Amino acid sequence: MRLLAALIGLLIAVPAWADCPLDLGRGTGIVVFSSHYLIAFRPDPLRIEVGEPFSLLFNVCTKNDKPAELVAVDAQMPEHKHGMNYRPTIVSLGEGRYRVDGMVFHMPGRWELAIDVRAGEESERLSHEFVVK
Amino acid sequence: MKRWLLGALLAALAASAVAQAPLPWSDDEVKAIARHGPWPPPAPSDPSNRVAGMPNAIVLGEHLFNEPRLSADGAMSCATCHVAGRDWGDGRAKAMGRRELDRRTPSLWNVGYAHWFGWDGAGDSLWSQSIRPILDPREMAGDAARVAGLLREGKALACGYERAFGHRPNGDDEKLLVDAAKALAAFQATLVSPRTPFDAFRDALVAGDREAAARYPLAAQRGLKIFIEANCAACHFGPRFTNGEFGDVGIPFFTRPGEVDSGRLDGLGKLANSTFNLLGKHNDDASGASALRTRHVQRLHSNFGEFRVPSLRQLGSGPFMHNGHFATLEDVVKHYSEVNPDRLHSDALPLVRPLALTSEQSADLIAFLRTLSAEAPPRPTPPPLCP
Ligand code: HEC
Ligand code: HEC
Ligand SMILES: [Cu+2]
Repeated sequence: MRLLAALIGLLIAVPAWADCPLDLGRGTGIVVFSSHYLIAFRPDPLRIEVGEPFSLLFNVCTKNDKPAELVAVDAQMPEHKHGMNYRPTIVSLGEGRYRVDGMVFHMPGRWELAIDVRAGEESERLSHEFVVK
Repeated sequence: MKRWLLGALLAALAASAVAQAPLPWSDDEVKAIARHGPWPPPAPSDPSNRVAGMPNAIVLGEHLFNEPRLSADGAMSCATCHVAGRDWGDGRAKAMGRRELDRRTPSLWNVGYAHWFGWDGAGDSLWSQSIRPILDPREMAGDAARVAGLLREGKALACGYERAFGHRPNGDDEKLLVDAAKALAAFQATLVSPRTPFDAFRDALVAGDREAAARYPLAAQRGLKIFIEANCAACHFGPRFTNGEFGDVGIPFFTRPGEVDSGRLDGLGKLANSTFNLLGKHNDDASGASALRTRHVQRLHSNFGEFRVPSLRQLGSGPFMHNGHFATLEDVVKHYSEVNPDRLHSDALPLVRPLALTSEQSADLIAFLRTLSAEAPPRPTPPPLCP
């Protein structure tokens, strides 16, 4: 809730972000942001099953409306100190939209997604946590 | 007198409680247990194999499975090592082909649900995995020409081929070898292990049927608690009790002095070099979706010494592990109880740690593991190829 309020505050404060389409279809999306980037994404299929391949659909926006690039996506289990057994690939769909294929969370538990984005000289890593059961 | 009566009454009550109530299970535990079912799952599907699930291909596959003429000396068939009455294994620590191999013959129960095959995952489809033993000089030592010849010229087999594939055996030797393997795969995918006492308990728990749940032995229930507590399901996940991936639980992997079986690391190299992998021309799935894992899998340092996480269903009487390192289930549980973390070759995965079980706890865990098996009905003789 507090996150949502912060997000709305942010959207109002930064005009360019108001245009950032957060909904990636099906009315669902996860949103992560920093002072430069606003990233919306959702898994496809929506429910991540342990051991089953899935994709991620991304929408990457920047504060100043400059084009941003999704550079890399990876995930690891911090408690188990290991990453994925698969290397995802990124396909650009234009206008800040991306599709990431070949993700597999092969164990139940906490996975930390790392999203590397770049706009011009500036690159940054944002992250999001999933718990798959 | 009254005191005595009360005591007897209490004792009787306690006894009946033991016999009739399941252990208390939290919502989280019930959810975790539910993930190990339902059983059986829907029949496996394999878009990379155009005859998967087709009755005539399954019959042809079963005949080929028992066919010693696939081997160079006409003496060895798949069934030599994968014996129906031995849970589709051979009961040996290491398989015996034309000479002793380095690994144990795995059971073929539920093999149709896997996505990597062999202890090292060198195969990415059931049909490509079925080609390996035919060609391996240490096993059946056959070749494509021999298999193709049998399909073209063996009267019954040629007829069985035509029924399964809808046309006479044509094409080059390699294509016919692959077709034989696809029929073998269609057959093996039908080997689904029976429902077990665990499945009855799991379903009762999910349905909230305490009475039915209480029929599951208490020792097994206590063992299941240990299984959950120890996070065995991090790897032994889902209805088959395997996530289908690879792990290192500290089993020595020296094959002979100075030689190691590097497991998954080597398996990924073999996979990439195989003309029969799902990226090749023999994949029947035009969409390419079935090759997704093969396309994205990455070779990691940590793959050294990793072996595929085995299913825990229908474990059989052993030996266990990729090289038959342990003779009994007792030995396996002792290993997990006492494993030396320094023996783990990967970067200290905190997933496997010495559990320090008491002898009662070990017995409970074994009691639980044994409830993942049930007697399978005897295998009927396969129907004739061309009646
Ligand atoms: C000499 C004994 C032997 C013979 C004969 C043999 N196998 Fe196997 N089988 C093995 C061994 C050993 C493995 C494990 C191989 C590995 O990990 O590299 C195996 C693995 C497999 C697997 C993978 C199972 C899994 O769980 O991943 C399949 C499928 C299989 N064999 C099918 C066959 C078929 C089909 C034939 C006949 C064409 C056959 N095997 C002949 C010993 C044998
Ligand atoms: C890190 C993943 C992992 C965890 C956690 C794990 N296992 Fe395993 N298990 C494996 C792997 C991998 C093998 C095969 C190792 C080999 O062959 O070298 C195996 C083998 C086994 C086997 C032998 C099966 C066979 O067919 O040979 C049993 C039984 C077993 N595990 C039970 C357990 C129990 C009980 C626990 C919890 C105390 C547990 N495992 C925890 C990965 C794991
Ligand atoms: Cu993990």
